[in-house]
Amino acid sequence: MALLEPIPPRILAVQRLYNADPAILRAYGADPARHTSLGLITVDQDDPTYVALDEATKHAPVDVVFAKSFYAGSGHASGPLSGEILGVLAGADPDVVEAGLKALISCLEHDACFYAADHDRKTAVFPHVISSLGDYLSAQAGLEPGTPMAYLVAPPIEATMGFDAAMKAADVRVVKLFTPPTETNFAAAWLTGSLAECEAAAVAFCETVVRVAAGPRSPGR
Amino acid sequence: MSTTRLLIERLRQDLISADPLPPPPSLPNIPLAPSRIFPRTPETESLYAREARHHTTALLGIGHVGTRYATEVVLQFQAELAVAHAAVDTLLPDDWAEKNGLLPLRSRVTAHREFLLRPDLGRRLDEPSLRRLEAEADKEIDVQPILADGLSAVACMKSGLLLLESFTAACKRRGLRVGTPVCARFARVWLEDEIGQTTRARVAAILLGERPGLGTGDGLSAYLVYEPRVGKTDGDRNMMSNIHARGLPPELAGDRLAVLAKAMIDQRTSGVTLDLSRLSAELGEAASRAPRQPQPRTRLVEVP
Amino acid sequence: MRLSSNIRGVAYTFASVTEVLAKANPPKSGDDLAGISARDEVERVAARAVLAHLTMHELRENPVVPYEVDAITRLAEDSLSETSFQAVRHLTVGQFREWLLDARTSGGLIRSISPGLTPEMAAGVCKLMSNLDLMTVSSKCEVVVRANSTLGLPGRLSSRVQPNHPTDDVQGILLSMREGLSYGCGDAVIGVNPATDTAESTAEILKAIDAVLKKNNCPTQHCVLSHVRVQMRALDLGCPMDLMFQSLSGTEAGNRAFGIDIALIDEAYDQMKKMGTARGPNFMYFETGQGSALSSAAHHGADQVTLEARCYGFARRYKPFLVNTVVGFIGPEYLEDGPQISRAGLEDHFMGKLLGLPMGCDACFTYHSSMGQDELENLKVLLAAAGCTYLMSLPVGDDIMLNYQSTSYHDIPSVRRLLGKRPTPEFDAWLNQLGIMDGLSPGERFGDSRVIRPA
Repeated sequence: MALLEPIPPRILAVQRLYNADPAILRAYGADPARHTSLGLITVDQDDPTYVALDEATKHAPVDVVFAKSFYAGSGHASGPLSGEILGVLAGADPDVVEAGLKALISCLEHDACFYAADHDRKTAVFPHVISSLGDYLSAQAGLEPGTPMAYLVAPPIEATMGFDAAMKAADVRVVKLFTPPTETNFAAAWLTGSLAECEAAAVAFCETVVRVAAGPRSPGR
Repeated sequence: MSTTRLLIERLRQDLISADPLPPPPSLPNIPLAPSRIFPRTPETESLYAREARHHTTALLGIGHVGTRYATEVVLQFQAELAVAHAAVDTLLPDDWAEKNGLLPLRSRVTAHREFLLRPDLGRRLDEPSLRRLEAEADKEIDVQPILADGLSAVACMKSGLLLLESFTAACKRRGLRVGTPVCARFARVWLEDEIGQTTRARVAAILLGERPGLGTGDGLSAYLVYEPRVGKTDGDRNMMSNIHARGLPPELAGDRLAVLAKAMIDQRTSGVTLDLSRLSAELGEAASRAPRQPQPRTRLVEVP
Repeated sequence: MRLSSNIRGVAYTFASVTEVLAKANPPKSGDDLAGISARDEVERVAARAVLAHLTMHELRENPVVPYEVDAITRLAEDSLSETSFQAVRHLTVGQFREWLLDARTSGGLIRSISPGLTPEMAAGVCKLMSNLDLMTVSSKCEVVVRANSTLGLPGRLSSRVQPNHPTDDVQGILLSMREGLSYGCGDAVIGVNPATDTAESTAEILKAIDAVLKKNNCPTQHCVLSHVRVQMRALDLGCPMDLMFQSLSGTEAGNRAFGIDIALIDEAYDQMKKMGTARGPNFMYFETGQGSALSSAAHHGADQVTLEARCYGFARRYKPFLVNTVVGFIGPEYLEDGPQISRAGLEDHFMGKLLGLPMGCDACFTYHSSMGQDELENLKVLLAAAGCTYLMSLPVGDDIMLNYQSTSYHDIPSVRRLLGKRPTPEFDAWLNQLGIMDGLSPGERFGDSRVIRPA
């Protein structure tokens, strides 16, 4: 029974540049005045990686200087180590980057992941609740660090039904809505409210995605 | 660590308890399995099974369902197992030896379960048997022939006499003096030591029912020992097994055993030190290894 | 050394370590036959209590057959690794049991103390273990060996194809062997027990098997299980021989009954080093089984579990590729029924692995013991779950020559699938290449003997 079982992200490569060339630093968004070292990671799931990069900023004084999804996702990757995202952490020294990578990897291994929204693992859903935003995602979302946020992703039609259900089930407001297609052809929403409301929104979202996946042409409730 | 995993696990439990399994596919008519290769009828057997049948009684070419046996094979197997177990439980009748003109002897065993659990008692004669052997059997002989029940009285009764006769005749043809034929009940291998020692034989030969096989229980083994004495070990013995119609036929086995007995007397030894290399031609003649007529396993289960 | 214990205020005193070891044994008809078993369950536990408080040092000092009278005892004592022994000498047998069961005690750690264990120590701790205890420790012990292929890797279950024939009909042997290979069996060895114990027929069978294996590029080993002297003569005649076989006993007198001694096996081992055809470095094959010493009156008043462990003490001198106990073959006078046979299988596997051997098991029964098919199938699963290196395999488990019931060609792939085990890596690749297996599932050519070409 695979329904709602975690689909663990696969970390494809982890590399360090402890004394990066200033041109590289600049090109990837870092500041040679403050940063000497980079930590690079590729993963076959992008959204858990955005969450994990944000998590890293809570554990070490690192900046997420670069994070981009690849077009059409890991099923169409350019190489075995590409996956669907490249994330880059920058820090003042190697130890800082190392601590950031450790938190990032731990989050990917034990926390953030997609789930199977059907018995055959053909549909994936990401109903993640962040109890307290770090520096990275708070800046992206335009919220204060420490705010709770529901980070919801699913394929286009399932997601759209799910967003509406989440909004109606919980006292939350939309921070950003990424209508389809994203780079990986999903749809995503960032919602905020109290932690309990974010949780209620994520559960309602997830349940709706499962329902739509199980009955694509049956009328809604 | 976020609360997401906990939340989703709870949701999963709720959804699954409401609908524990995906809906089953609609049921087609289950097709009949293709007919299995066993039983071996000309219509159903494979070329491989047909070839195998000429060379071995092992159950080959029986096919499989998944990695397991077809139902027909299971039933045949269980029937064969039942036949083997029944063979073990059969006892040699008290008067069988005398009716067949053999000197009746008994080991120290008194009951069947004791026979299975106490081989030490099956290796020695009881007092009355020892006295009778001393009084009635020929002494100072070349070969002491002993027929015995061993682990299959069925085998002893079925082909024991035939093997005893062919062995005795083959020994005599080779100029050996053969002693009084005896028949021992509840007997184990090594009982020949005490019997041969008592009749002062140069070689003792015990022919006894061996552990039953699947569906058979009619196999005999023969053990020969030079200068039989209580205390000889397995390494002192030569043995021949699988003496039955589908293995080594009793008529051929008797001849081959006589070759062995003669060799022991010539070389004054038996067991691992007996040199058989010079005898391979003769032994090969005695037990022809040319393919015999195929004798397929008997089909035991019929449902009319 | 304390040889007494109290149970509910009643004192139980034993005369010797040998008596303690014997009476601590779970019930075995063979120990009853020898007249050395505990008179009841309470005395059995009293003996175990004494045993649990003996130290490993005391077991070393009190072998069941004295050093002066027995070559197998001398072999164990003289070849013992002092370094390994020092690590455990102070432990009681009860503490040693707990150390083995401790989750922090890895297989590698056990392997490092193994050369410091005498057979009596392995047997002693075995008697304090339940069946699940035995399985728990056995599954940790990894013993990896190589001849032509690599046996004993984790997650693997291998098998011997045993295509015996009542008259050594070579075509019959080959047909059975090809069928076994088509079921994914035979990665441990193709091993034939010959009906005729001559060098000529041993060589003839080996040549025939060798030709089929070569023709099919099959990565395994072959062996004809005649007496070691006969195999030595066969080698001299000139024939391929990947593994050399011999049955072993736990005492010098028992081995004499088999017509062997240490010097002879040394000689056989040396000859195999020069003339054996396997890549190595392991190329000896030994079989054992509880009760063999008693059956030749060579047991010296010791129990059959301890004597079995001493067979392993003998075997490890030759770094064998295969060792297996033929656990139910000897008959009901030594192992009366299903529970006794199952227990003995798990004990032998445990003791062999603890002493560093690539231990397999012929899980079997003869038709005059009280065991049935279902119970035998249970035992195969238990052994495989305990990490048993290999099992036997025959058509329908039926040995038409030796007349007993063992593992079948169908059982091996069934148990492998059930427990997620694979054959040796070399053989696994070969099976997948031929389409016999598709990973853990039967492939398109599964059970199709024609896929193995005749020579």
